[in-house]
Amino acid sequence: MDLSNPMREVYWNITGKNLMYVLLVPVLVAFFRGFYSKYRLWKIGRPTRRRDNWRRRLAGFFRGAVVQEKNFRDRYSGWMHFFIWGGMLVLFIGTANVALDEYLGVPTMEGLFYLYFQSLVLDVFGLLAIVGLAMALYRRYVVRPPRLHRTPQDAVFLGLLLLVLVTGFVIEGLRIAVTEDPWAAWSPVGWAFAAAFRATGMAAETMVGLHRFSWWFHLALAFAWIACVPYTKLTHLVTSPANIYMRSLGPKGRLEPINLETAEFLGASNLRHFTWKQLFDLDACTECGRCQDACPAHATLKPLNPKAVVLDLRDYMHEYGPLYLRRAQDDPWAAPAETPDGRPVPVMVGAVIAEDALWSCTTCRACMEACPVEIEHVPAIMDMRRFLAMDQASMPEGMADAIRSLETRGHPFRGTGGARTDWLQGLDVPVLDLSAGGGTRGAAGGAGADGAGPDADFDVLWWVGCAMAFDERNQKVARSLARVLHRAGVRFAILGNREKCTGDAARRIGHEYLFQTLAGENVATLNQALGNGRPRRIVTACPHCYNTLKHEYPDFGGHYDVVHHTEFIRELVDSGRLKLDGEVRETITFHDPCYLGRYNDVYDAPRKTLKDLSGAEVREIERARESSFCCGGGGALVFVEERIGTRINQTRARQAAETGARTVCTACPFCMTMLADGLKTTSGDEVQALDLAELVDRATAPAGPAAVGAGTGASPGDGSR
Amino acid sequence: MNIVVCLKQIIDYEIPPRAFRIDRQKKKPAMPDASLVIGPFDENALEVALQLREKAGGGRITAVSMGPESAIEALRKALAVTADEAVLLSDPAFSDLDPFGTARVLGAAIKKLGGADLVLTGRQSGDWDAGQVGQLLAEELGAPCVNFAFRAEPGGDGRVRLYKETPGGAEILEAGTPVVATVTNAETNQLRLAKVRDLMAANRKPVPTWSAADLGLDPAALAAGRIEVLDLYVPTYDARCEFVTGETPEDKASALARRLVELKLV
Repeated sequence: MDLSNPMREVYWNITGKNLMYVLLVPVLVAFFRGFYSKYRLWKIGRPTRRRDNWRRRLAGFFRGAVVQEKNFRDRYSGWMHFFIWGGMLVLFIGTANVALDEYLGVPTMEGLFYLYFQSLVLDVFGLLAIVGLAMALYRRYVVRPPRLHRTPQDAVFLGLLLLVLVTGFVIEGLRIAVTEDPWAAWSPVGWAFAAAFRATGMAAETMVGLHRFSWWFHLALAFAWIACVPYTKLTHLVTSPANIYMRSLGPKGRLEPINLETAEFLGASNLRHFTWKQLFDLDACTECGRCQDACPAHATLKPLNPKAVVLDLRDYMHEYGPLYLRRAQDDPWAAPAETPDGRPVPVMVGAVIAEDALWSCTTCRACMEACPVEIEHVPAIMDMRRFLAMDQASMPEGMADAIRSLETRGHPFRGTGGARTDWLQGLDVPVLDLSAGGGTRGAAGGAGADGAGPDADFDVLWWVGCAMAFDERNQKVARSLARVLHRAGVRFAILGNREKCTGDAARRIGHEYLFQTLAGENVATLNQALGNGRPRRIVTACPHCYNTLKHEYPDFGGHYDVVHHTEFIRELVDSGRLKLDGEVRETITFHDPCYLGRYNDVYDAPRKTLKDLSGAEVREIERARESSFCCGGGGALVFVEERIGTRINQTRARQAAETGARTVCTACPFCMTMLADGLKTTSGDEVQALDLAELVDRATAPAGPAAVGAGTGASPGDGSR
Repeated sequence: MNIVVCLKQIIDYEIPPRAFRIDRQKKKPAMPDASLVIGPFDENALEVALQLREKAGGGRITAVSMGPESAIEALRKALAVTADEAVLLSDPAFSDLDPFGTARVLGAAIKKLGGADLVLTGRQSGDWDAGQVGQLLAEELGAPCVNFAFRAEPGGDGRVRLYKETPGGAEILEAGTPVVATVTNAETNQLRLAKVRDLMAANRKPVPTWSAADLGLDPAALAAGRIEVLDLYVPTYDARCEFVTGETPEDKASALARRLVELKLV
């Protein structure tokens, strides 16, 4: 042996190694057959484009599948998973290197590469993989966090993998012990195993025999494990990275529109109605349960668990999907009715996924934000809601009332007994007149400040939103914002009665038809209002309107420059047009509205403004920013009486109150409604909910006696309602 | 079973009083932007008809509305919740008819439709709230009338079983056909939402319009039953606050007593 050239004899002690390739054949057959049958199931879904824009996809792939950023949001599981997959990957490369050396003559098994990589690195990563597996076993079977469930599968493949790794070291140890490998120290774990074997005083022949047996045993286990991949959740080795690559690149807040004129079905009531990507999602799930932990509905004991939605649909697809492959004769979109042996196929919406589960979704997107493999739960839930709302006309009573009101009145608040411009009584808010002649006119009963002129002189169109216009508490926010805009010298106008609900409520209920009707009317109005003259922006204080105007109206011919009032106020402060001089002695915490934060990544603008308030102390809720906990009002649930489980808004109110802050600042009228109620019922009058506009109103109020009473946001002279 | 439901299109009844505008000259509401809706009890009547058709396992529902052309929207809504057909009764001669005249027109239309086994109306219209057309229509058709029904079921021998609201309970009646029932609201008869497919189909369905001539009615004879509105206004409620002062409670009390006497309140 040439001691100057480190190496080891490949396939030492192994005879008939080519048997390995014979054994590999069935393994590969099982592997590819498994994936092929899955591929056939995915193809049941409708087409969708998910392979465009490869640069962005690759960048996301790197962050999601290689660095695994989201996995590391939970440090323990982040490292655990990194050890296991990193270890397996490095060991796989090491094994492939052996083949390169053996069959292609690439000298991977000698020299420094052999020492550093094939010996040292492989040993270290093998050990890390064992550590990772130990962490996994400890967590799943000792710590037992609720988000992980335990199936025999989990135990089998974790155990199998551990055995593969341990036998690998056993083989290495025996080889070192018998051959007295001079470079043994470069394989520290193998060296330790060798020392252990020597210490037992085992005879050399025994070790040789044991080595041979272990080698084949190790191989058999590894092959079995590989064959298991497409049949267990190990599928995720392949599907999860692919799913990350094929994730949605569109705006997060945009739902896919339905062409109602040509639609052959409405929403999703069986597998054919989903896209192939939505079916692929199901097989990409790693069962990690982060979505379950993030879900506000699950946390408050509702029958919705995003993890269960994915897994139940997956099991349904695996069990009944093959029946879909025989195309139905009459209706190509129908689900199979029964199995060949005459059992009825369960109804997907109603039996596999309970209607109550679907109606519990606030569409807050916390599940999708948490999902490390980019599964798209909310659009799937929305598709099933669309089926219920449009095909079945079935929905919770509060939502039905909202739909009825939207149909006839253009706003979702049934029985408000109010008018859209009630809130601006006594304020100088110019209402755009879109009838022939144009211009703006003073508000009815207002100061009568005519901003007349055919080309009305406004720079900013303020989209007020129904909740701000009709809801008593939120009307105060609108009045505050009106004052703030005046103080900053913003020339703005509103649409008054010409404004209709953006349709967010209808769309999130699942009533795409009504949404598109409203969107069409609003786009026509907005295009008229903003059409001629200089470019104008839309500002709105409602994140739901914001999201719809910005991300969903482009599909209907409305392309606008939209800012949320938190962003707009920030601009006004930064440009010096708004001076936050007044004292606001409050401890404040900020509640991130889902449609502002998770949907639109506006996290910092409101926080910066809060920090600029003199005298204010800002504290963070534990679940803030990306992991913010929904107020319970999203997805049109603000209109529904919460009958199951505990109340989401009270849960969130408690989380906010735990910071010790006396003011919970938010920036969404639905959050305001939900939090004000939640705070009142959990902490009495101790903690108040205020909109950012109200705090800024206080900070910019002209000097003098305290202009604002706690929580009212009303200044003297305001007509109270 | 042939069911006819009479619907009236009215101005949205959820408009708050302070937003309600009236043209004092024309003595009509002046709200061109207001939503138009089906009268609330008429919606209940439609739902009762739909449920009856389901329970009977078949039948034909015809929605009939007398009103201006805009009332076609009310009929489309009825078609959207799967009424089988709809007829609009529209003619200048039909405007401002009193309940007798309205019943005459509706009756003529129902006869032209070939009669009906069951005619449902709301218990009152929801705008003028006269509450007379149902009964007068029964008279017109020579049929019995059941008031304040909230539910209908198929009865024995081709009869109709009607559930009628009574204080603290319900009265169950069976009537031979034809029969007219006025419908009141109950938890069970809020009008369902339309399925989108039906909604879209309803927009494509033809809705015939019948004039006085189509119904064989003489406009001159109808004119006799026209209502003249003498005045129309939104009532105003005035409240004033007056402080009664005085040095001692006794002074205040006697000042209050004097004031009340002045105002002729005591």
